[in-house]
Amino acid sequence: MTTAPLSDERVALLRTMMLIRAVENAWAEAYFAEEITGIPPSLSTGQEAVAAGACAALADGDFVFTTHRGQAPQIARGLDPRRVLAELYCRRDGYNKGKSYHVTDVSRGVIGMGGVVPAQIPIAGGMALAQKLRGSDRVSLAFFGDGASNEGAFHETANLAAMWTLPLILLCENNGYCITQSVSEAIKAPSIASRAAAYGLPGLYVDGNDVLAVRDAVAEAVAHARAGKGATLIEARTERLAGHLCHDRQGYRPAGEVDAAWRGCPIERLRSALQEAGILDADAHARLQAGIAAQVADAVAFARASPFPASHEAFEDLWA
Amino acid sequence: MKETAMFDDRLFRPGAAASADERERPSFRAALNAAMREEMRRDPTIFQMGEDIALASPFGVTSGLAAEFGRERIRDAPCSEVAVLGAAVGAAIGGMRPIVEFQFGDFLSVAVDQLTHQAAMLRYLTGGQVKVPLVLRLPCGAGQGAGSQHSQSLYSWFVHAPGIKVALPATALDAKGLMKTAIRDDNPVLVFEHKQLYRSRWPVPAEYADPDFVIPFGQAAIRRAGRDVTVVATLTLLHHALAVAEALADEGISVEVIDPRTLVPFDTETVVQSVRRTGRLLVVDEAYLPCGIQAEVIALVVERAFDALKTAPRRLGNPGVPVPFAPPLEAAVIPDGRRIAEVIRALMNG
Repeated sequence: MTTAPLSDERVALLRTMMLIRAVENAWAEAYFAEEITGIPPSLSTGQEAVAAGACAALADGDFVFTTHRGQAPQIARGLDPRRVLAELYCRRDGYNKGKSYHVTDVSRGVIGMGGVVPAQIPIAGGMALAQKLRGSDRVSLAFFGDGASNEGAFHETANLAAMWTLPLILLCENNGYCITQSVSEAIKAPSIASRAAAYGLPGLYVDGNDVLAVRDAVAEAVAHARAGKGATLIEARTERLAGHLCHDRQGYRPAGEVDAAWRGCPIERLRSALQEAGILDADAHARLQAGIAAQVADAVAFARASPFPASHEAFEDLWA
Repeated sequence: MKETAMFDDRLFRPGAAASADERERPSFRAALNAAMREEMRRDPTIFQMGEDIALASPFGVTSGLAAEFGRERIRDAPCSEVAVLGAAVGAAIGGMRPIVEFQFGDFLSVAVDQLTHQAAMLRYLTGGQVKVPLVLRLPCGAGQGAGSQHSQSLYSWFVHAPGIKVALPATALDAKGLMKTAIRDDNPVLVFEHKQLYRSRWPVPAEYADPDFVIPFGQAAIRRAGRDVTVVATLTLLHHALAVAEALADEGISVEVIDPRTLVPFDTETVVQSVRRTGRLLVVDEAYLPCGIQAEVIALVVERAFDALKTAPRRLGNPGVPVPFAPPLEAAVIPDGRRIAEVIRALMNG
């Protein structure tokens, strides 16, 4: 028999990470085949556990604000890969009607951002403020990178969130590089999470390639926020395997570093752990893989078939 | 020529916003205060953030609001323009209607990204999925020796950027009516408040007291009708232009004075129709002249009514130096009644 035991949360998390990678690989293939042009795809390859783990700790009504590398949270929050890819193909049936690389679905609490590196952080803070002022127990989560952690917008928001006890999770996805600059050349502090003390916030450091550890850390922060205790800064340390954008061959990284990082791939790590635990055998994994491949092939076909927006649509959606 | 003496040349005159004797002739700041108070009573999603707005409002505009609405809805914010404006954007997406005060409008320079790229673009970028109803209050303008970084009129920057409405109230009635429209609008709105106007007092019609009195955006006001020259002027310079028009009537020059009231949307039609009647145009504003709002208004008219022009349109503004600290230097760079009158006479002889 047999279907993969998706009822097991760990298998569901594995499937989410596999779907993220498959959707993004399709996006990259479309770029290299010159089916799509413009800014090259920013892939989360190697970082899937951060979004998958974080979103597993959230509930309906919670909001996430993405970075430029935002496809992983979109998939992890259940957006339809067909409409995600249609957007990335700049088509009319994309979530944003072909108007942005930063896919948004308000109904699932995903605000796509990242065109300007730290900008989503204060806005996520504002969503948290709205949730608090309305008396809701919902939370707001800002994804941001190690690069953004050096921006004033981050520091101002961390302080404001602490002062105003905002239900905010500041989730720093430290992938080791801000384009070509390594974190060791940009941040003197021992960690980004250690800065939390300076704002009067709890700070958590987590292995960002361990999806269960990420889920648990974010769940702790969410519980803290829902209890009215305010914000948490989490640093999830991960590895960027496919470059800043997909055309980036990462020649500036030390020899062997990327190859070594591949050995920590979060998907393979969870797959092998589940196999060893007897939860997911090779056949079940193959079926999972095949199901995802079929889903993504269908999504690509949908995106390709969707029309480009009409030119008059360039003048729509500016004003409410 | 008699200069208009109604304006406050002294910075920072705090105090109760609406004293009893202001009922007949409300001050400009009391009008803003009343607009916000009435709207906050009507709509519980409205709240405010800004430096010192709860305890000691620097210009007295928010005085008394914290006592009525509490510190959750009148939030004193730390000195963090980026986080505060960003918080307004996020709260607006989250269903609230924030009003933000920057103590001096010049400080918007610190947080431009949050305005022009986030507040103004997010609706477009999301294909219309979000709306960002926020009001940003920006004390502006020269004439009080506040120095180069506290005296500018920077609206041209934001008229240039897509997705931002810009209101320039010049009377107490407009302050109230335009502020209420700004609060009810579902888009980001900048309200530029000239600091010299805050304590000025105004006669108002009965409708001023009506909580549902609003002034729609995009409707210019012809403040004085005339046949010979059209003057488009804003904020305090509107009142200087009106004083000049009164004086020039004695010389037989009939000046029409138009207050655009909002720059985005801009009431092009009223200005074009006026120039079709007069054939002459002067645009006067404190903004820096290069790429300034004066040039934009002239371009809008020339494109539509070139045939009606009897002479080249003229503009007055800051020619492009920082607004100086020393009063004589400040006076040298900001248009005044004397220069407005000179240009109008030159237009008549042109």
